Amino acid sequence: MSDCKWARQRLALLLYGELNLDEEERVESHLDGCAECREVLGREKAMHAALDSVEVEPSPSLLTECREDLRLRLDESPAPRRIAWWQRISAAWVWRPAAALALVAIGFFAARQIPFAKTGISERVRYVEPAEGGRVQLVIDETRQRVISGTLDQAPIRGLLLAAAKDPSDPGLRVETMELLDGHAQSADIRDALIYAVEHDQNAAVRAKAIEGLAPYASEPDVRGALAKVLLADSNAGLRTEAIDLLTRGVTLDPQTVGTLQELLVRGEQPGYVRERCQSALRAVKASLETY
Amino acid sequence: MTNFGVSLKKGLQMDEAALIRAAQAGDSDAFEQLVRAYDQSVLRLAMNLLRSPEDAHDVYQEAFLRVYRNLNSFRFDCSFHTWLFRIVTNLCLDQMRKRKVRKEDPTVLATAEGPLDRMDAIAEERVDGDPQRHLFSGQVRRKIKEVLGELTPRERMVFELRHYQGLRLRRIGEMLGTSEEAAKNCLFRATQKMRAALGDFV
Repeated sequence: MSDCKWARQRLALLLYGELNLDEEERVESHLDGCAECREVLGREKAMHAALDSVEVEPSPSLLTECREDLRLRLDESPAPRRIAWWQRISAAWVWRPAAALALVAIGFFAARQIPFAKTGISERVRYVEPAEGGRVQLVIDETRQRVISGTLDQAPIRGLLLAAAKDPSDPGLRVETMELLDGHAQSADIRDALIYAVEHDQNAAVRAKAIEGLAPYASEPDVRGALAKVLLADSNAGLRTEAIDLLTRGVTLDPQTVGTLQELLVRGEQPGYVRERCQSALRAVKASLETY
Repeated sequence: MTNFGVSLKKGLQMDEAALIRAAQAGDSDAFEQLVRAYDQSVLRLAMNLLRSPEDAHDVYQEAFLRVYRNLNSFRFDCSFHTWLFRIVTNLCLDQMRKRKVRKEDPTVLATAEGPLDRMDAIAEERVDGDPQRHLFSGQVRRKIKEVLGELTPRERMVFELRHYQGLRLRRIGEMLGTSEEAAKNCLFRATQKMRAALGDFV
């Protein structure tokens, strides 16, 4: 291989500072004596600069949304898995029998010393009033937590999940419910819940998850109706982009969608991806870009 | 987990190892400090690789949830940054491979007026005042995006980590569970492809 060819193959790595010392020395000394290769290096540097021009910076609002959603999801997450001290020393396997015996003993005595196990009951004081003899009387509401599990085919589980999908107090719960409902939108009640979330949920992450669950059914009229509403009215640019992609993906446009796209243009959709996609979809079916 | 949102004004900044130990012991403020130390670079990496705010958001959530759930298995065998980015790069690679299989809509859309980047619809790119953007024509930038989209997921990942995130190949090899030499080969192939495609433009 000629020196020039050998050196040119290493110019990119030279710019990244990723050649070993010997190679770097050899390339540098070749460049000192070769004007053509120095010119190639100049072009390589120009390419580096051009590459920098496509870097994207996430918007501050996306970062804020990510942090907020993470906070919600962590609030709902169980505590991290703890590694018990005896697992940490488990490599010393000879200790295992002794450690196991010690744990049994600790468990036995602990059970006798602690009168109440953790109950999973939360309490709220509803009323307070003075009672005789300087005492006070409290009326307490107790909410008892219970763990149930099952499949979506079981009516109680399904009913609770559909209720959780609309729980106004907790967007994190709604996001996770949408994830569980994803893949089940062939059922009318689940699909209705997803459509309801797409059209009414205040939280963009919940709406995004609901759209994800409906995506496989984007050719069906009820889903298309919901997507059209997102496209026309949602405040989130990402969701509108998703909606136009799903509405114009691979199907012959139905008259309602043509109407929606025309309405979008009449409303003065700003130039950009959504507008271009809208126009190209209308052109593809030879529809007018205006309504009359 | 509670008090995640409480602002951290403890007066003392713990060093990273102390933060990790505190978070492992259940200190939610310490965990938040860890998240805040790295989350912008996690989001920037996911955004540049996936070029979709929705997918970047999902990677961010999943990565930090995995860190939270598995923090107690972190043994200081490598730096926390390497451990975190191993999780993030795996999530991004999975997503890129799924896209290749699904052959999803490209992010650059052909229009009558020429190609249009889907990302422009979301206005996430650097602010207009960025001088880098004005130095190069839209045509060059579109061509670069096209070539980036054509790299294999692994080449794309190595190129992203080296060129845009500025990490050394040795560290990249550690993150991706491969050797420095293999990472170097990936970078070499990526730059060759880029050079071949951009020959007439730059």
